[in-house]
Amino acid sequence: MLELNGVSKSFGGVHAVRDVSFVLEQGEVRGLIGPNGAGKSTLVNLISGLLAPTAGSMTLDGLPLKGKSAHQRARLGIARTFQNLRVFPSLSVEQNIDVARYAAGGAPLVDAAIAEFGLRDKLTARANALSYGDQRRLEIVRGLALGPKVLMLDEPAAGMNEEETAALGASLRWVQREAGCALFVIDHDLKFIMTLCDRITVLDMGAVIAEGSPQEITQNPKVISAYLGEDIGAEA
Amino acid sequence: MTLTQSQKRGFFGACMLAAILIAIGVVTTFFASNYQLRLVYSAFVNLIVVLGLQVFMGNSRLTNLSHSAFMGIGAYAAAICVTPVAMKQIALPDAPWGLNAFALDPVTSAIIALIVTGIVSLAVGVFIVRMTGTGATIASLAVLVIVHSIFLYRTDIFKGNQAFFGIPQVFSLTSIVILAVVVVFIVRGFRESPWGVMLRASADDETGAAAMGVNVRRLRLIAWVLSGLILATAGIAYAYFLGTISARPFYFNHVFLTLAMLIFGGMRTVTGAVLGTFAISFGLEIVRWLETGPKVIGINLPELLGLSGIMLGLVIVLTMALRPVGVMGDREIEEVFSKR
Repeated sequence: MLELNGVSKSFGGVHAVRDVSFVLEQGEVRGLIGPNGAGKSTLVNLISGLLAPTAGSMTLDGLPLKGKSAHQRARLGIARTFQNLRVFPSLSVEQNIDVARYAAGGAPLVDAAIAEFGLRDKLTARANALSYGDQRRLEIVRGLALGPKVLMLDEPAAGMNEEETAALGASLRWVQREAGCALFVIDHDLKFIMTLCDRITVLDMGAVIAEGSPQEITQNPKVISAYLGEDIGAEA
Repeated sequence: MTLTQSQKRGFFGACMLAAILIAIGVVTTFFASNYQLRLVYSAFVNLIVVLGLQVFMGNSRLTNLSHSAFMGIGAYAAAICVTPVAMKQIALPDAPWGLNAFALDPVTSAIIALIVTGIVSLAVGVFIVRMTGTGATIASLAVLVIVHSIFLYRTDIFKGNQAFFGIPQVFSLTSIVILAVVVVFIVRGFRESPWGVMLRASADDETGAAAMGVNVRRLRLIAWVLSGLILATAGIAYAYFLGTISARPFYFNHVFLTLAMLIFGGMRTVTGAVLGTFAISFGLEIVRWLETGPKVIGINLPELLGLSGIMLGLVIVLTMALRPVGVMGDREIEEVFSKR
């Protein structure tokens, strides 16, 4: 469905993303892990159209994404959340969601998603009055309101405690079940990623060094030496 | 289509503002002197200008300094169409393209003026919406200067700083109150419409809005053109009441005055635009009276010419320093009165 072919991005002399290729299948939950500075967020920015790649190509259901701006890609079905929260602070929770709904022409699942992510009673509140966790959840619901084919989550569990993270995992599985969109999840919480994802891609120094099931990733010697260290088995 | 919660509240809020405007109109009609009536009329013209400014600035949060030019384009276009041929032969003997050889009724003239201003604002807007922050502000200032220069030096069409006279005075206070009420509903309706909500989202966070599928430039352009049409409406109402226009009222002093009104009231809300317009209009009359050196409780005050300019400057500086979002901030009138 979403296909990346040799995608690279360099800023001046720095190669943030090198020759990344992979295919994201419909309904798949894919994790993207890697040490800080591995190029994870840059890759999400390239897919969502906030950055243009220096080389390589991307297609969504066979449609080339080259030349499509961020808002066009969002309407085509590429939704995302941000590592640094980007809710619209002066708008209400409902209006935050409406923005995506208006832009994409409405998604059937939104009301159910509002309930699933616990925002039903907070719809009239101003977005900047929400707690940090609620703002993260709002970004996810807002992304779902685009009726996406792919929802990319950039550190959705950041700043959440264990309980909240577990609840988030359950809600994301609900999304996978009900919305049928692919999830592309970046996070540093390995336990969260390992239990949530079907497949995991590991990025180091901008390049893919491994891809496979959580099982395979935990046993991959390259991953262990390059990034995860010896305690990977213990953590997962 | 069903209305959202904020759209319902918006309609209610617009009704409250409309009631206030109508009350001001009724009180003025029954109790005001002719001089005071003219002041109130000009406050209503400025209200429409400030509402036009709010549509663009309040929702996109880009600064526009060219608005008085668009008011002028509307006023001149309507004046050229509506003024009787006999008058135009005297006023514009050298007018090109047969501009002094025809005259239309006020409604047709107003429609043509709106179309002309709409086309000009579309042409200018295409460039403005590509810029951000300071770029857009400075470009809009350039537009003001360009339009003013044309008004000033194409004397064969616009008469420059001399009066363009003979415009039929078809507007009354009632007409402008009705017009202002309609514009309040349009402006508040736009704010709560999908376009308005998406545009405000882009003002909060341009990147975030683009990632949510919002075509920021297109929405800015829509708001810009709507703003231009409302400004033209104000210009037409101005010309149709006074019967005489010249280039001067559509230049920097008026830009500054209406900007002070919007900033003081709070540019993010329609309520702020209404409050700012009437507060500054009223305050300015008191200051103008003080300028002349009146006698107050037996004391002769000195003449203080230029005080009104200083006051307007102070209003802008103090609002920017102490409360940059203006008196109303993010709150519309119905939110002030609701409990939450």
